[in-house]
Amino acid sequence: MTTKTKHDGPSREWLRRMAEAEERCGSVTVGGLAADMGLVDGSSSVELPRVFSRLVEFARRSRGLSVEALAQDADVELAELVAVEDAGKMPSPRTVFQLAKVLRLSTGKLMELAGLAEPKDVSLNQAALRFAARSEPTAKLSREEREAFEEFVKVLVEASDGG
Amino acid sequence: MSGQAVQLVRRTDDSVVEATLYDGMRPEDLLLVERAWSPERLRLYEQLLQKGVRRDEWPESLHWDWSKKAPELRFLQATGFGIVYDRSWEGVMLTKTAAHVARLAEDKGKPLVYVDYLEVAPWNWRVLPLELHGRFKGIGSVLFREAVKQSIDEGFHGRVGLHALPQAETYYEKVCGMTAIARDPIKQNLLYFEFSRGRAQKFLEEGGAT
Repeated sequence: MTTKTKHDGPSREWLRRMAEAEERCGSVTVGGLAADMGLVDGSSSVELPRVFSRLVEFARRSRGLSVEALAQDADVELAELVAVEDAGKMPSPRTVFQLAKVLRLSTGKLMELAGLAEPKDVSLNQAALRFAARSEPTAKLSREEREAFEEFVKVLVEASDGG
Repeated sequence: MSGQAVQLVRRTDDSVVEATLYDGMRPEDLLLVERAWSPERLRLYEQLLQKGVRRDEWPESLHWDWSKKAPELRFLQATGFGIVYDRSWEGVMLTKTAAHVARLAEDKGKPLVYVDYLEVAPWNWRVLPLELHGRFKGIGSVLFREAVKQSIDEGFHGRVGLHALPQAETYYEKVCGMTAIARDPIKQNLLYFEFSRGRAQKFLEEGGAT
């Protein structure tokens, strides 16, 4: 980044006047509503670390839920959940929040795994790598997969960081 | 990306702080913006749910995701502006200089700068049901002023158009002095506003209709 030294912004009086006016109005937001922000063309989707997709899939299957049932329970779009699980698409923050609530996992840690928050927890990365290395998506969870999943969930449970 | 010095008002003591306004944000900058903002969006979301605040009182951009807009910055006609204070993105705006023309009768068909998206960081929002008043004020005005300046630099004489979210309609109409043209069915019925060159000049000099 380069920064010009000249001050090219508005005068202090202009700024104070407008700041007070903003305060009275409450919002200055421009653009589409929430749905619009989430419906940009598919090229904007970012590949997720495969661990997030797999975690959601395993958590769902371990509860005996279909994708449709999880989408309904979590009040998220079925198409988005399918895209997250099958195509590794990045979910919206709301979807992560809703999934964390239904699957009873830590919202903050799921946000990290989904690539929506700055990674803070080194042990989480290590646990995620172990999980990814030991799991393969199959119709039923094998004993080994279940062990890997349960070990990973211990790191992710909601109670561990209060969400 | 180049930057210029701007000022913001700190809400707690009304003091003025020096910040930097950058233009030419890159797609990766928007990814960083959303990484920094999304945990705060979630925190607010949880608080609003816990307090049982009515949906119509929620901030209207609570579910936005700037990372979804990152690919748009690859197009030449799109420009990303952002304000940074103490290494933190405090507000972001995306403008377009093509594909939109003026609708006001006096300027009909002439090119303008279209403000595609403008949002301040969630920690700067006033969320009254949660008794939150935000960290800085003036961010939206400083960003929007830059759109008007961009219009002048492009030879569009200050003509700017935008679709405001309902909670922001008062600001653009009553404070900035923009003209409300019509609700737009293809933009989720948002109200479309436009600046004529005269009104834009007044906004730059005096702060619009205040």
